[in-house]
Amino acid sequence: MAELTRKGLQGFLARQGILVAFAVFMIAFAVANPRFIDIDNVFGVIRSSAILGVMALGVTFVVIGGNLDLSVGSMMSFSTIVVLDLHDKIGPTLAIPSMFAMTLALGAFIGILVGYLKLNSLIVTLGMLSAIHGLTLTYSGGKNMDIADKSGTWFSVFGQGSVAGLPMPILIFAGLAIVLSIILSRTPFGRKVYAVGGNGVAATFSGIPRARVVFMTYLMSSFCVATAGLIQASRSLGSQNTVGQGMELEVLAAVILGGASLLGGSGTIFKTVIGVLILGFIQNGLLLLGLAFYAQYIVTWIIIILAVWLDIAAKRGGLWSRIA
Amino acid sequence: MKISTKFALVCSTAMLGTAAFGEAHSSYTIGITQNNVGVDSYQTTYEQAFIAAAEENDAVEVVVLDAGGDVARQIAQMEDLIQQEVDAIIIWPTNGEAVIPAVRKASQADIPVIVTNSNIAEQGFDFVASFSGPDNITQGARSAEIMCDRFKAQGIEGEAQIVQISGQPGYTTAIERAKGFEDRLPEVCPDVTLVETQPGDWNREKSQQVMEAFLVKYDDIDGVYAGDDNMGVGALNAAKAAGRAGDITFVGATNFAVGYEAMAAGEYWGSIYQSPVDDAEAALQTAIDVLDGKDVPFLNYFDTPKITQDNMDEFTKPVF
Repeated sequence: MAELTRKGLQGFLARQGILVAFAVFMIAFAVANPRFIDIDNVFGVIRSSAILGVMALGVTFVVIGGNLDLSVGSMMSFSTIVVLDLHDKIGPTLAIPSMFAMTLALGAFIGILVGYLKLNSLIVTLGMLSAIHGLTLTYSGGKNMDIADKSGTWFSVFGQGSVAGLPMPILIFAGLAIVLSIILSRTPFGRKVYAVGGNGVAATFSGIPRARVVFMTYLMSSFCVATAGLIQASRSLGSQNTVGQGMELEVLAAVILGGASLLGGSGTIFKTVIGVLILGFIQNGLLLLGLAFYAQYIVTWIIIILAVWLDIAAKRGGLWSRIA
Repeated sequence: MKISTKFALVCSTAMLGTAAFGEAHSSYTIGITQNNVGVDSYQTTYEQAFIAAAEENDAVEVVVLDAGGDVARQIAQMEDLIQQEVDAIIIWPTNGEAVIPAVRKASQADIPVIVTNSNIAEQGFDFVASFSGPDNITQGARSAEIMCDRFKAQGIEGEAQIVQISGQPGYTTAIERAKGFEDRLPEVCPDVTLVETQPGDWNREKSQQVMEAFLVKYDDIDGVYAGDDNMGVGALNAAKAAGRAGDITFVGATNFAVGYEAMAAGEYWGSIYQSPVDDAEAALQTAIDVLDGKDVPFLNYFDTPKITQDNMDEFTKPVF
C-alpha cells in the first residue's frame, strides 16, 4: 500500500513536476514578500516575460520538429534595430512590414539550410547567431538606435499601450499563444511537425515533406522573433545593438522547462507558456528577496536541470535509473 | 601623415610596413588596439574621433586596430605593433589582467604604452607610461553631489530614500562609479538612505526590469542613481509605466543622447558629461606628450563635468 502511494506520488511528480515546482515557488515567494502577488507586480512580470515568451512560442515549433534555434536572440536585436531605424526613415506604417519581411527572409534562409540542405541545426543557428549580430552592427554602424520624436508616435502602442486595462504585450503574447496552439494541436501541419520531430525517417516514408515542414518551423520562429522585436522596439522606443544578446538560452530554457524534448516530437504551446512564466516569476521573486541579479542564473539552471530530470523520470517511470 | 586602418581579422603586414616607414622621420607612428569598436556608440565615436584627431596632426601617423572584445586577438595585435616598431602603443584593454604580459613585452622593447579609457590591473602599472581616461570615482562622487543638491532644493535631504542600478559586476568602471557615489553621498547628504543596489549590466531592458521590482518593493523612492544613462533611462521608463516618475530624481553617468533628451523633456535630472571625442583626443595627446618627453602624470584624467537640467544648454547633445 505504502509502495503504491509512493509510486503514485512519483508518477504525479514526474508528470506534473513543473506545475508543482511552480506552485511551491509562488507560495514561498509570496510568504517571503506579500508584494510578490500584488496585481501590479504580476502584470509587470507577465509583461516583461512577453518578449521572451513570444520568441519561445516560435522556438517550440522548431524544437518539436527536432531542431534547435540559437539565432533568435541576435535576430531579435536585428528586428528591433531595423524597425527603429526605418521608423524615422519611412514611417511606422511601412517600417513594420519591411522589418517583418527582412526578419522572415533570415528565417527562410535558416529554413533552407536546415530543411532542404539538411545541415545540422546547432551549427547553422550558432553560426547565424554570430552572423546576424554582425549584420545588425553593420546596419547600425555600431550606434544606438533611437526614435527622434518619442512622444508623438503611435508606434509605442505595441509595447506601452493597453486594452481594457490589459497591457498590449500581454495581449499579443496571449493571442499568439492561442493561435499557435491551435495550429500545433488542431491542424494537419501541427501533426506533421510532431511526426517529423518524433521520427523523421518514418515521416518521410509516410509521405510527409520533411524539408518543407522544417522550413516552415523556422519561418514561424522568425515571425515570432519579428513580433518580439516589434514589442521591444515599441516598449523602449530606442535600443542598443545587443538587446537580444543571450536571450536564445533563456528562450531554450523556457521551452525545455515546459517539457519539450530536445530530441523533438514532444512539447506543447501551453507548457512553453508555463515555462516562460516560471522563469519570469523566479527572476522577479529573487529580485524582490533582494538577492543579486546573478543568483537568478544559478537558481534558474538548477530548476531547469531538475525539470529535465523529471522529464526523463516520467519517460522511464522512476526518478532513479535502474541501470547505474 | 598617413593612416592605415586595420580591422579584426585582416592582418596585413605590408600595409603596416607602409604606415610605419613610409613617412619622414620627424613624425611619430602610434599604434592603438581598441577594445570592441562597433559594439556600442561610445566606442564607435571614439574611433572616429581618434582618426580625425590624427588626421589633423601632421606630426603623427596612426595604426588603428580593434580587438573585437577578444583578449587573445588583442595580445596578438600588441605583438604585431611591437614587431612593427611603432613609437608608442595605446591600448584600450579588453581585460585588465590578461593583457599585462603583452604590455610588459612592449615596455621591454622600449615602446611606451598608454592605457586609454579603462585602466589595467595594478600589477601592470610598472609597464605603463600613462593612463588617459575618465576618473570614474570622481564621476560617482559628482553624481552623489548632483543628487544631494537636488534633494536640498526640494527640501527632502533629511529623509530621502534612493536606489542604485550599477553596471556589470567585475567591470572597473562599474565598481569605481558605485564606490565614488557611495563614499561621497554620506559626506554631502548624511541623512539620505541608499536602500538597495542591483546590477543592471549596462543594459536598458535589464535595468527596466530591476526598477520594476524596486517600485514594487519600495513605496517610497526619491532618487535613482544609475551607472550610466542607458540604464538610467531604463529605470525612468519603468517609473513612467508605474506612474511614479514625477516623484523621482534620476541621476546617471556618461550622458547619452537618450539621457540628454530625457533631461530636455524634464523627466531626467542629471548626469556626467563624458565625451568619447575628449577621451580619444586625450589619449592621442597623452601619447604625443610621452614621446615628446614631457612630464605626464601617471593618471592623466580628462575632465568630465556635471550636467543637469539647469546647465544642459552649455553642452551639445551627445552623438551616441
